Amino acid sequence: MKTRYILSMGELKRKDNSIAFKNEKGWNYIPIEGVREIYFFNEVSLNSKFLDFLARAGVVAHFFNYYGQYSGTFYPKDYLISGDLTVKQSLAFVEKRLMIAKSIVYAIAKNLYEVLYHYYRHGNKELKPFLDWLRTDIDKLLEKELHIRQILFIEGQIWSRFYDSFKYFLPKDFLMYKRVKRPPNNPMNALVSFGNTLLYTKTITAIYHTHLNQSISYLHEPREARFSLSLDLSEAFKPIIVFKTIFELVNRRKLQVSKHFEKKLNYALLNDDGKKIFLEAFENRINEKFKHTTLKRLVSYNRAIKLDGYKLIKFLIEGKEFVPFLLKDKK
Amino acid sequence: MKSYKYNYVFLMYDIADEESEAGKYRVAKVFKICKRYLSHHQKSVFRGEITPANLLKLIKELKTVIDEELDYISIIKLPNASSFCEEKIGTKKIDGESIFI
Repeated sequence: MKTRYILSMGELKRKDNSIAFKNEKGWNYIPIEGVREIYFFNEVSLNSKFLDFLARAGVVAHFFNYYGQYSGTFYPKDYLISGDLTVKQSLAFVEKRLMIAKSIVYAIAKNLYEVLYHYYRHGNKELKPFLDWLRTDIDKLLEKELHIRQILFIEGQIWSRFYDSFKYFLPKDFLMYKRVKRPPNNPMNALVSFGNTLLYTKTITAIYHTHLNQSISYLHEPREARFSLSLDLSEAFKPIIVFKTIFELVNRRKLQVSKHFEKKLNYALLNDDGKKIFLEAFENRINEKFKHTTLKRLVSYNRAIKLDGYKLIKFLIEGKEFVPFLLKDKK
Repeated sequence: MKSYKYNYVFLMYDIADEESEAGKYRVAKVFKICKRYLSHHQKSVFRGEITPANLLKLIKELKTVIDEELDYISIIKLPNASSFCEEKIGTKKIDGESIFI
């Protein structure tokens, strides 16, 4: 067990060099050696002694507020520090930013193609123009000399056309119409935002266990006060993990607007049952294993995120070409 | 199957706590060590996912605490959580292995 989600109200403390959680049902013990990250989705009280204990065990804690909005991460002291790599990361930002940004956008397009092709094959022929555009036009567009703004524009185009294509294979009450963030305004926007946040936090944990510096990113603008590199690395996994989970839950009617969303808030927020269903499906998806082409062994998608971090390190230090995870090649 | 492929264990212990005063302390010590690695399943049974490296650490820690003349610990190793079948009778209020709390 690597991840724990705390959905009930209670108190967390350090007990016998392990974690003890008390809620209205009673004491609950979490073995410290088997946990890598903890998600807090409800009001939990804890003290600095507990945080110190988490930090020493290298456990990352992600906090969410009452509305499921991400409020922050308790990030233990870095234990993998490499000044050399930080220097190279910054240098690459100046010299090779476009190259890395382009390969990330390329990976988004390819993975979206793989995800949507399933629906095309099962009778949604309207998807053909978009699929063709993803397969051939994106390659041509990215070959040209581009400014970073133009690359970001292509990325935006890919996503907005992808959101438009939902109308061909999703039920009517789950259509998105327009991507609205902070806060989302309808069920689909809520699911996408929640899924993306979860993936973003998972990537933070993955990068924590590499030597990379979280704040230097390539596709996204490296700004203050957030870990923008994990935005970059999570991008290629969004189609595979977030959207596949959503499509599965929605199309198999495991999530329903009337049952699993808050009516008071115009159905723009998952309720407790809905959250549980989504988290379980998300966790199953991210722990799903596949045979890695180069490593020739079973690897989970969670692990593949970390491997993408290693690929970036290889690119920065040895100059080996950086291609993010592609669903088709399985590497 | 090679030994390093086991990722799930059942751990059962019998500590001779009635023979001497020291036995009572050993029970508490063994319990505390097991709690850090596995989830408490029944009175003297722990179970859960564990990496091979952590299992070695656990065994090493247990060996320093128990009296090998009197106590007995048995560990059943399995490849993963889906390699056995469980039948439940009665209720268990808290499922220590669930990802949700």
